[in-house]
Amino acid sequence: MSVSKEAFEREVLALLGSLSRVARRFVRNDTDAEDLVAETVARAWRALDTLQSEAAFRSWIFRILHNTFVSDFRRARTRAEVAMPDTDCDEAEFSLYEQLHQPFLLWYSNPEQAFLDKLLREDLERALAALPEHHRAVVVLADLEEFTYGEIAEALGVPVGTVRSRLARARCALQKHLWQQAQAYGLSGEAAARNGSRINEREA
Amino acid sequence: MTRTDLDCEEALRRLFEFLDHELAPEERDAMQRHLQTCRSCYSRSEFERRLKAKLHELRQDDAPIDPQERIRRLLQSF
Repeated sequence: MSVSKEAFEREVLALLGSLSRVARRFVRNDTDAEDLVAETVARAWRALDTLQSEAAFRSWIFRILHNTFVSDFRRARTRAEVAMPDTDCDEAEFSLYEQLHQPFLLWYSNPEQAFLDKLLREDLERALAALPEHHRAVVVLADLEEFTYGEIAEALGVPVGTVRSRLARARCALQKHLWQQAQAYGLSGEAAARNGSRINEREA
Repeated sequence: MTRTDLDCEEALRRLFEFLDHELAPEERDAMQRHLQTCRSCYSRSEFERRLKAKLHELRQDDAPIDPQERIRRLLQSF
């Protein structure tokens, strides 16, 4: 496939925000993220003959981003970090909605809406950051960047079925983290009934 | 043409594919019909939809790196 330099530049610049956001969530510091994006663009230019069609540019360059992260950045990073355990979710076994919809919480009339209304960016950031890397990747690509399952599969180099199962497990784990946070804020059982929703205190 | 109707178990099993816009048109239509008639599944669907939207907002509020100049210089070097 022959893509002109102008077309390559246009595609790269159009995707730069998305590449930067995803890189930032892979490596979690600005310097490494900028290096990862720059290395990705350099490798993409050298590998331009592997691009099947211009329509596939997004998943193609994100695959290069992911491969570059795995080969050049992950190894260095994991030396400095404690390896995170895998999630203990089997498919969609845990539902935050079901937890919030329990009879003792219906005391609030609509606990799931109350929970969402009080949910802060930092709560989601913490839950997302706690996911193992391969689970964080699918949530970031699906929910933040709105990739299709097919694009995620192409970007990560895995079958679509693997994307589905990883997403199910990742969302399960994310919701478990959010539920644990909700419990810590007092939105659970006796503590909730006794104290009212301490989650409301966070607004003050 | 036959119309497929979903029960709650099947609707919840396919819910995230519905929210991720991954269902085929006839499957999406069947899901929408179910959600229009089932308060419980509709409530769950709305919760998951709002949670997904909140995750998406992380992207909009992100203050990511801005390698624009570095990448422009890199592109000029090719």
